[in-house]
Amino acid sequence: MSYYRVFAKGIWEKNPILILGIGMCPTLAVSTSVSNALWMTLAATFVLIFSNIFVSLIKSVVPSHIRIPIFIAIIATFVIIVELTLKAFQPDIYKALGIFIPLIVVNCIILGRAEEFASKNTVLPSVLDGLGMGLGFGLTLTVLAFFREILGSNRLFGYTLIPGMEPATIMTLAPGAFFTLAIMLWGMNALKSRKRR
Amino acid sequence: MNASILRSTLILGLTSFIATFALSHIKAITYPVIQKQERQKQENALALVLPGYTIGEERTAAVGRANFTYWTGQKAGGNTTAKAYAFIAEKPGYSGAIRTMVGVDEKGTVLGISIIRQSETPGLGARVLEAASRNTFFQVVTGRAHETGEEPSPWFQEQFRGVNAAAKIAIFKKGDWNETMRDELLLKNGVSAITGATITTKAVKDSIEVGMATLRIALEEHAKAQEAAGK
Repeated sequence: MSYYRVFAKGIWEKNPILILGIGMCPTLAVSTSVSNALWMTLAATFVLIFSNIFVSLIKSVVPSHIRIPIFIAIIATFVIIVELTLKAFQPDIYKALGIFIPLIVVNCIILGRAEEFASKNTVLPSVLDGLGMGLGFGLTLTVLAFFREILGSNRLFGYTLIPGMEPATIMTLAPGAFFTLAIMLWGMNALKSRKRR
Repeated sequence: MNASILRSTLILGLTSFIATFALSHIKAITYPVIQKQERQKQENALALVLPGYTIGEERTAAVGRANFTYWTGQKAGGNTTAKAYAFIAEKPGYSGAIRTMVGVDEKGTVLGISIIRQSETPGLGARVLEAASRNTFFQVVTGRAHETGEEPSPWFQEQFRGVNAAAKIAIFKKGDWNETMRDELLLKNGVSAITGATITTKAVKDSIEVGMATLRIALEEHAKAQEAAGK
């Protein structure tokens, strides 16, 4: 596989949310506003890239039966780094994302990529894989947040769109996230099946 | 087998050691910044709930099971000094505790409240923090936005100003509060609930009532202690 393919597969062909169907919990929870989605993407991608680097570096030293606790320790370390840094320098964002920053530890995308890709590949492809997967995650999250923020709170990037209009609150709640995600999945599958024909 | 156990243990231990070592350094860098922010937040909240008052000492009293922290404030006006108190009220809302800094004068009239911690549903309960933004997205994009800087304070918190915390506070479902509702609601010692988040509204209201009662007890005890010390 060429480096470009390794990078690009995360965005479309193996999009973590729309195709692999992992990492749903943060997706549904933090996609209420575009700025939340962007910060979540940044945090998750940072953890993803660095955990991929370290996992691929130590893959030959670690006995396979204790690999999972080691991966988790590496991921947790980077998550705490992100958490403390955000708390210190971006307190508003930290407040908005709340519990979902520490929960990156159990984000399936990160452990999934460590197990499936980084533990079998060298450092450079692992970085590209992490970057691609992070971008795929972020793009999906941002599109989802774009619609949810506009329809659910009548805002975009925190600014009111139409003054005085009552927004559809259901879009900021869980059902709105499910509806939007379902429509996105439908569109994705429709496009894919057309391509195959 | 034994060799493999030893090796696994060593590797796992080493990983944990390196992780802890790295984190202790990160913590050392960020801890003072976080501490400073917490202090700043508390000072901002105090200034907001006791406007114009000089913040005096911070006192802690053991009331009931928990420690109750409150601050005293003073304002010189004419030939008397007005006294005021700020305390932290806390009650579980719809999801997690809602912590509110409340400022009251001696009679128990609320001077201002500031919600310092909440984890309510975005778009519903979290609207306790929502200020009616004066800028629309198109104004910002087209460069015709109002000056930022002084954002209006959230209406939910604003409406508590003037309410008597020592009496029962009533909740009315009148939709979003605005300045024109103030007199009518204050007459009934009431506040308007957030649409679809009455639980959140009730939690804040209850916490203020309970906090006020606790403040009374704490102040009485403090006065008693002062008297005993005087004799």
